[in-house]
Amino acid sequence: MTTTLEHATTMAQPKGGGLARHQNFATAIVAGVVLAWVGWFLGRHLFWNGSDNWSDQVTILTLLGWMLGFWIGIGAFNAPFQWLLGRDNTRADNLYYAGDKQGRMRYWKFTTDHKVVGVQYIIVTMGLLAVGGILAMAIRTELITPGTHFVNQQVYNSFIAIHGMVMILALIVAVAGPWGNFVMPIMIGARDMAFPRLNALSLWTLVSAATVLVGTLAVGGLPVGWVVLGTIANQAGPGMDFFAVAIVIFTVSTTVASVNLITTVITMRTRGMTLDRLPIFVWGTIITAALALYAFPFFFVAEANQIFDRTASTSFYVAAGGGTSWLQANLFWLMGHPEVYVILIPAVAALFEISSTMARKPVFSYRTAVGAMVVLAGLSAVVWAHHMFTAGWAPSLSGPFMVTTELISIPTGIFFLVLVGTLWRGNVWMKLPTVWMFGFIFNFIVGGVTGIYLSDVPLDEQLHGTMFVTAHFHYIFVGSVLFGAIAALAYWFPKVSGRYLNEFLGRLSFWLVFSGVQLTFGAMFLSGLKGMPRRDASYSFAFEHTNFISTIGAYMIMSGMLVLLGAVITSWRSGEPSGPNPWRANTLEWQVPTPPPLENFDVLPVITEDPYHFDETTVNA
Amino acid sequence: METSAKKSLRSFYWTWVILTAVGVGLSLWLPRRYMPAAMSNDAHLTMTTMILFSICAAPVASGVYAGALHVLRHHRYRGDGVPPPAPQIRESTKLLTSWITASAILTVFVLVWGLGALAAENGSSSSNPLVVNVTGQQWVWTFSYPGTHVVSDELYLPENREVEFRVTSLDVTHGFWLVNMGVQVDANPDVITTIHTTPDKLGVFEVRCEQFCGLNHAFMDAVGYVVTPQKFSSWLSAQPARA
Repeated sequence: MTTTLEHATTMAQPKGGGLARHQNFATAIVAGVVLAWVGWFLGRHLFWNGSDNWSDQVTILTLLGWMLGFWIGIGAFNAPFQWLLGRDNTRADNLYYAGDKQGRMRYWKFTTDHKVVGVQYIIVTMGLLAVGGILAMAIRTELITPGTHFVNQQVYNSFIAIHGMVMILALIVAVAGPWGNFVMPIMIGARDMAFPRLNALSLWTLVSAATVLVGTLAVGGLPVGWVVLGTIANQAGPGMDFFAVAIVIFTVSTTVASVNLITTVITMRTRGMTLDRLPIFVWGTIITAALALYAFPFFFVAEANQIFDRTASTSFYVAAGGGTSWLQANLFWLMGHPEVYVILIPAVAALFEISSTMARKPVFSYRTAVGAMVVLAGLSAVVWAHHMFTAGWAPSLSGPFMVTTELISIPTGIFFLVLVGTLWRGNVWMKLPTVWMFGFIFNFIVGGVTGIYLSDVPLDEQLHGTMFVTAHFHYIFVGSVLFGAIAALAYWFPKVSGRYLNEFLGRLSFWLVFSGVQLTFGAMFLSGLKGMPRRDASYSFAFEHTNFISTIGAYMIMSGMLVLLGAVITSWRSGEPSGPNPWRANTLEWQVPTPPPLENFDVLPVITEDPYHFDETTVNA
Repeated sequence: METSAKKSLRSFYWTWVILTAVGVGLSLWLPRRYMPAAMSNDAHLTMTTMILFSICAAPVASGVYAGALHVLRHHRYRGDGVPPPAPQIRESTKLLTSWITASAILTVFVLVWGLGALAAENGSSSSNPLVVNVTGQQWVWTFSYPGTHVVSDELYLPENREVEFRVTSLDVTHGFWLVNMGVQVDANPDVITTIHTTPDKLGVFEVRCEQFCGLNHAFMDAVGYVVTPQKFSSWLSAQPARA
């Protein structure tokens, strides 16, 4: 790739693109609004307004207009257009698209440099966490005492659905987005991703999908639960169209990103970077990407069917028309369970990396760790119906799905062995990433063990649909994945900003969030055991005390996250400078200057051993 | 050096044992303290399974916690600057095989128990179950007793006789959950799903919707009573025919 680029510089350089050089987030919004209006106008006049589906048809066309306009406005199609016009990109064009010499403005543009995309993913993740977090606080505030007082049931029901889906999106991209893009290509010794433009495309399609998802709140919300079971979805207003379109575009975004990550690792590794020398985080990223490629098309189909049901009176999910909402449930969980591991594996893989560096020891049982991730990804494809044990759908499959689900505890157990085994007899450096890693170990045990109860069909027939389930997966998502994501942030923050994440604020945040998680979700387990259903806007006095504790804990989590946000902002601007390799790690991203230059390496490195050997030279490097 | 390492290992084992004991104590206490009063054969099985799984989980969780605590106490670097390299241990076949074997044995045990319990739940089909038709709609439950004209919004069940619930919905998907009986199944429009249970304790129990079903989902519940067979027949005959 480099040779072609250098070759191109010697060719004639046509001066390029006046308008195309002024495109950014603002022009994207303007173009999006314009085309959304065009879609709305066309829809109102093209479709027959006597039909039941008219408002859905108009909504869908408006949203597609918004998406298309947004992509055109950000400049997603510039390069293909140029190519269609018979003019290939020059070296100057490519440097321009990579954000060369554009300062901070490049973060607001369709920039192809993987490091810019990585930072953009950090910002998108933080934005999604903020929206989902505010909704979580609203939910917990409503639940502080029995009865309805703060938001009405309709609003509450919308909040739980949007909170759920926004947080799922946030966590899917929380580790693989920022670090799969920012550090992974440097880790394997590449100058960029295999498809830099697709990289920018995956980011900006995600942004456009996220705007529509959050926009649901502006059109009456989505008062049908985040799983949007086929039968109840029919009762939802335009919010359901927003949701379906957002998901369809989101699945496109993840597919594009996954293809890019996998191709990059397969084709762009530097000389000597054999598969058994790959940093384990890279393994985690591509296993996740492969799993996402398998899982998210189901979600695409699930929501595309929904769109057809609503706009064209197909009846995929309508029993009266020969459909079944079990089809929706199956498609949803065919995505939904692998998605849990799409969320989890990158966080675990990042922690393997961190544990090795911080303990000054190699990753314990590297090959077994990789194997466990592969097995986990494979198993997760065949466990989906454990979400449907009580659906009444195929009771004869309860046994087989119980077997596949409980087998998951074996690879998950290996994760603990690898983490604790790496730390064991190490010289463990208690810095911020290490602190959050210990929080992960504590919470992941709680989340993991309670998963075993739920995989047991007879127990699930009591616990399903209760707060016990909610507490279980929040221990996984908040207690484990978010802790892993913050550990990864603290670990790679110096590479992005050249500064340490503030140790004091980071630890304060840790203790607030850690205690908050124990209070919130610990008490939630008790609510669930006692028999409090999920997704309820109100509850009986029997659950009063545990819910009060959960709400107090939730406020602690929120304050901890605000402290963390403060730490990120202040450290980014004026934190203690860290130098290029503050943790004295051996992986390649720490061997390049900070911030890494465009195209990362002057001369591509040649690899002779894996990055997990620590000796005296690594200390003094 | 060698003796101090041995000593620290001994403290690891002790931590493990103590944490396990705490875990077993919690397993015996928490479910009985917090779970709803068990009023059917399935609910008793649920309670036993809950306690048993918690006891199995105690040594595993405690082992990991004891390991993490051990690292925090004995392997934390307390000096300034970058810690020196640690022993470069990459594998331990012995540890790996014993860990995988132990977790496999536990998994198989949990599976065998779970499959057995599942078979027990499905297998107990008496020849003469009481059939109750359950209909969910936004946001009420209705119960009818085939062979009679009784339609009720309260659920009466006789003690010690197996009940077969045939569950359906008139609108969206609901979740039919007998809180004290430890069984639940979705109510779907145009489909009948069934569950069985045998109430074995007199008293009042709760019926709730556990599948999100719209505006008043939180308030979709009903009251149930387990009564003696004599009381049950007199209740049935006392009901006005509404159907």
